Amino acid sequence: MVAQGKITWISGPAVRADGMSEAKMYETVSVGKDKLIGEVIRLTGDEAFIQVYESTSGLKPGEPVIGTGNPLSVLLGPGIIGQIYDGIQRPLKELSKKSGSFIGRGITTSPVDMIKKYHFIPTVKVGDEIHHGDVIGTVKESELIDHSIMVPPDHKGGKITNIVSEGEYNLETEIATVEKDGSSSTLKMYHRWPVRKPRPYQKRHDPTIPLLTGQRILDTFFPLAKGGTGSIPGAFGTGKTVTLHQIAKWADSQVVVYIGCGERGNEMTEVLVEFPKLKDPRTGKPLMERTVLVANTSNMPVAAREASIYTGVTIAEYYRDMGKDVVLVADSTSRWAEALREMSGRLEEMPAEEGYPSYLASRLAEFYERAGRVLALGSPERDGSVTLIGAVSPSGGDFTEPVTTHTMRFIKTFWALDAKLAYSRHYPSINWMNSYSGYLSDVAKWWTENISKDWLNIRSQAYAILQREDTLKEIVRLLGPEALPDEEKLILEVARMIKIGILQQNSFDEVDTYCSPKKQFKLMKLLVDFYNTGQQALKDGASLVDIRAMSVISTLLKAKMEIKDDEIEKLDQISNTMANQFKSIAGIKVTT
Amino acid sequence: MTSKGGVQYSKIAEIKGPLVVVDDVENAAFDELVEIETTSGEKRLGKVLEVGHGKAIIQVFEGTTGLSIAGTKAKFVGKVMEMPVSKQVLGRVFDGLGRPKDGLPDPIVDKFLDINGAPMNPEQREYPREFIQTGVSVIDGMLTLVRGQKLPIFSGSGMSHNILAAQIARQASVVGTGDEFAVVFAAIGVQYSEAEYFRRSLEESGALKRSVLFLNLADDPAIERIITPRVALTVAEYLAYDVGMHVLVILTDMTNYAEALREISAAREEVPGRKGYPGYLYTDLSTIYERAGRLKGKKGSVTQMAILTMPSDDITHPIPDLTGYITEGQIVLGRDLFRKGIYPPVNILMSLSRIMKDGIGEGQTRADHQEISNQNYDAYSRAQEVRALAGIVGKAGLADIDLKYLDFGDDFENNFLSQDIDENRTIEETLGTLWKSVSLLPKNELIKVKDKYVEQYYKEQ
Amino acid sequence: MASNSKLETTIDKVLNQTGTEILSSLKSSLDETQETLSKSQSKLEQEYDRIVNEGKKEADKVQKQIIGSSELESRNKQLKIVDDSVQNVFSKAIEKIKTIERDDNYSKLINTLLEEATETLGTKDVIVYTNSADKDIVNSLLSKFSGAELVSETIECLGGIEIKSKDGSMSFNNTIDARLDRMKPLIRKEIATKFGLGK
Repeated sequence: MVAQGKITWISGPAVRADGMSEAKMYETVSVGKDKLIGEVIRLTGDEAFIQVYESTSGLKPGEPVIGTGNPLSVLLGPGIIGQIYDGIQRPLKELSKKSGSFIGRGITTSPVDMIKKYHFIPTVKVGDEIHHGDVIGTVKESELIDHSIMVPPDHKGGKITNIVSEGEYNLETEIATVEKDGSSSTLKMYHRWPVRKPRPYQKRHDPTIPLLTGQRILDTFFPLAKGGTGSIPGAFGTGKTVTLHQIAKWADSQVVVYIGCGERGNEMTEVLVEFPKLKDPRTGKPLMERTVLVANTSNMPVAAREASIYTGVTIAEYYRDMGKDVVLVADSTSRWAEALREMSGRLEEMPAEEGYPSYLASRLAEFYERAGRVLALGSPERDGSVTLIGAVSPSGGDFTEPVTTHTMRFIKTFWALDAKLAYSRHYPSINWMNSYSGYLSDVAKWWTENISKDWLNIRSQAYAILQREDTLKEIVRLLGPEALPDEEKLILEVARMIKIGILQQNSFDEVDTYCSPKKQFKLMKLLVDFYNTGQQALKDGASLVDIRAMSVISTLLKAKMEIKDDEIEKLDQISNTMANQFKSIAGIKVTT
Repeated sequence: MTSKGGVQYSKIAEIKGPLVVVDDVENAAFDELVEIETTSGEKRLGKVLEVGHGKAIIQVFEGTTGLSIAGTKAKFVGKVMEMPVSKQVLGRVFDGLGRPKDGLPDPIVDKFLDINGAPMNPEQREYPREFIQTGVSVIDGMLTLVRGQKLPIFSGSGMSHNILAAQIARQASVVGTGDEFAVVFAAIGVQYSEAEYFRRSLEESGALKRSVLFLNLADDPAIERIITPRVALTVAEYLAYDVGMHVLVILTDMTNYAEALREISAAREEVPGRKGYPGYLYTDLSTIYERAGRLKGKKGSVTQMAILTMPSDDITHPIPDLTGYITEGQIVLGRDLFRKGIYPPVNILMSLSRIMKDGIGEGQTRADHQEISNQNYDAYSRAQEVRALAGIVGKAGLADIDLKYLDFGDDFENNFLSQDIDENRTIEETLGTLWKSVSLLPKNELIKVKDKYVEQYYKEQ
Repeated sequence: MASNSKLETTIDKVLNQTGTEILSSLKSSLDETQETLSKSQSKLEQEYDRIVNEGKKEADKVQKQIIGSSELESRNKQLKIVDDSVQNVFSKAIEKIKTIERDDNYSKLINTLLEEATETLGTKDVIVYTNSADKDIVNSLLSKFSGAELVSETIECLGGIEIKSKDGSMSFNNTIDARLDRMKPLIRKEIATKFGLGK
């Protein structure tokens, strides 16, 4: 029996209906004559409180509400990659076919093409015993994605009594029959999973492999590990979205889920226009072939914004279960929190800080807990990961507001954006003093083994220069730079070079947009060498004026954009030039 | 539009602030348009904010002054609020609710459109990339405006934001196209003199015939301000997507809009967010600002320039703060520059145009545009640091290179930033001035520009 | 809707009669416009000569201004004429309706109006108001609407009915006047397009 009630009250996205005693918590319901999609979020007596995922304009009390019997779920199967969905997994392209340039209401569509045929290669045979999570075959979903067809996690398993042979099938084809305890069930290439329920796995691993993004300040200074959690808070104009786009473009994961949650429409369009043109630096294939977009822009209904985060993370977990590394970017979790606040206000719940509901912290915790590098269910054995990165948009850029402070409790890498840096056009404007990474020692092993055994040492030296500069800046502010001795002035000089030559990175420059780990290390080592040689030169009698006048400085600073990843040996030439120039200025001083 | 009328109810339960609560309402819809009739027969418009359990809460746009519990009637019109649109609205002046204010009859109608619009499908958006030349150097050179962009002006009370907006409205053009252009101007709680300045400015440039004005002035009903930007944008969308024009929408002053919203929220006794503004201020503002853009398969575009005065010049105040999170950048006017008498007093360091990168460069403006603009930002930022330092240690305590940056800063403000209110500079002139300013610095300081451009444009002085 | 088409025929009839009238007044408006434009043309030329020394930019500005405002002026004049014509059509239509024969068709119209009104209020327990001309027709129809009562005092209107719930909390105006009023923008558009204006 499904619930069949009537609307009694409407206020924005919140609707109450009576006659709903059959309804279940978090059940999806159809609301009103236009069959708008809603979800039950509170039950009192036979009255249900429903959040509606579409505009309720024109809805009247007395109109019907009909239950579906199912919780809000996503469809998981081939065809998801390359799509742009709204917050409840409706493909925006299909919506536009039905309602044109603007989003209409009450439209239902299938999340993926159910008729399209995929080339299915079975990996099990009749008589095999299968369990939940087992891979029973694969299809090629996109140029970049081999999609494993898995036994759903809530399936009870059994013996294969029938499986189709290799060939072309669509999603509705029954590809296998399974028998257990005398009853048989069939499997298709897709299944559904409720978005609010994390998908199960066998076991969690420690996150020790760095997520490489090609962004120097992230990879070198504040790294994130695969399966880890990170957050990027910042006032408007500090470049959150650009940084997130950079991660989505260049991260070394197999799948990227990008959630535009309550943000600008044009930003999603930008991804849609740009990603198909960009090539994955590792495979040379278009980036769109590994990307899924979930777009619930700021002007789209607020309740679907709340759902979009869960829709995205469930899709991410599904690809993780295939043994893939997935990066999920959520821009912005603040808008998601505001959606919670708005519904909570309409429910007349007791507000906690700044009107946010008291369960804000636990909801954030639940979300970030869905990150991790895991051993997936079933055979064959496979490790996959979901890395979660959430943008936070603190009001007034104030990091003490509830969403930022609660988020900081549940994440390990914190990239603090700084409006002052943005105003001086230092991009990415991530403040190197306020940011941190809890994965530094975990990922150091990878850098040592793959790039250089000196990595941690050089990084520490570079960071120390920045720290020294930070304290010296106070003195300069009070007394002017001339009050410092030359060796401290050199610290200021090299810190400036590190800021320009390493920390600043131009995402719109063809070369600078992506920096390979090797180039990152070499650039950093060049500057640390410059510093050490410079201090030695000062001791040997060279003057700071001479050091400042060295022509190699502007070469060093432009190296990031002038030297491509495949001509990295040019950096060694700069190293030689630098050594020679130092020799000559130290030499001049000695002879005079 | 149907000829079927609505039911009129006369059981008024409560009148508080801008709200009227009607009892025993059977057949009202959420968001429905309501006609309130006073005892004297005067008619006012409102809309349903909440309905159910036999009660409807109505927000009255023209205020509740003079309404009484007995004798007031509320007619539920059976549709949401609509704006009659056609090409005939060009050259006309309307009030804040979209009714003619120029003494002329109603325009002949082509369509009636829901003033709330509908969210654009992000998949159907065309990414904005056409450079709009405003003839204002600081905007064209450093904060380039692109067709379909929403770029607000953050100002403070008394500064020259309206003069700047009017200059942009007069001069804006897309070089090398004959496309039709229109201006939709919405005055939201501004003074008569400001609205009149704008109207005259359009008239003098002959642009009035391709302009539509919506005026809610300072002494007009405050709650009407909720509607004014929406009717204006409805007309803009019609002109853009039905008629195929490129529409520049100017909304001034959004601070008054947000205050009207706060008034309603307070009357509804909602849990407030920051500074008493409702928690949904962000979402509400986005339903205005996100109505800018371009659409696939449509010729026209809606470019938005919202003006807001920051209370106490505070950019972290909720109104500029939430606006900045939605718009594609912001043009911030600086009090210091304004006091120095510089026009336009744009504080470039706090300003930003997010989609500039896509509207400039080869084929649009010039290949070196992005880099020379970056270099000027960098140098001006350094100049500001040096100025602060000079304030402490005096000019004598500065190094040679620092003195050069001081010179740069002055030159930048006096020759690049400053310009006359009817001076229309080409993009070539603008970029030329940018190179001239940085040429006051030694060549090796130009680290944001590729060597080839330095060779081509740098002129040592 | 039956009642609408009836009104529309009435209006169409009136339109045919007044069509020539409107056309001729539109023509004179066009002539006038032409005149304004040619006048402003000569004015423009004088202005142009005067300021040609003050620079081309300034001249362009003034040219734009003059053309712009004269174009607007003539457009607005046309608009006024259309509006006058619409008023004309309306008053003629109203005259027609006033004297319309209260025949079978008319009583069908009243029946539709009553049905629609009671449906909208959701009750037949209503008080019905009408004018003196329609009183008898309404009365004869009320047997089909049990619970509805016709009050003795009449209201000022062209025809049709207005109903109120018995507790007085709800009312619905379904007089011909109210319906005409609601259709007005559409009728205006129709008239304007019939004479090649509007778009």
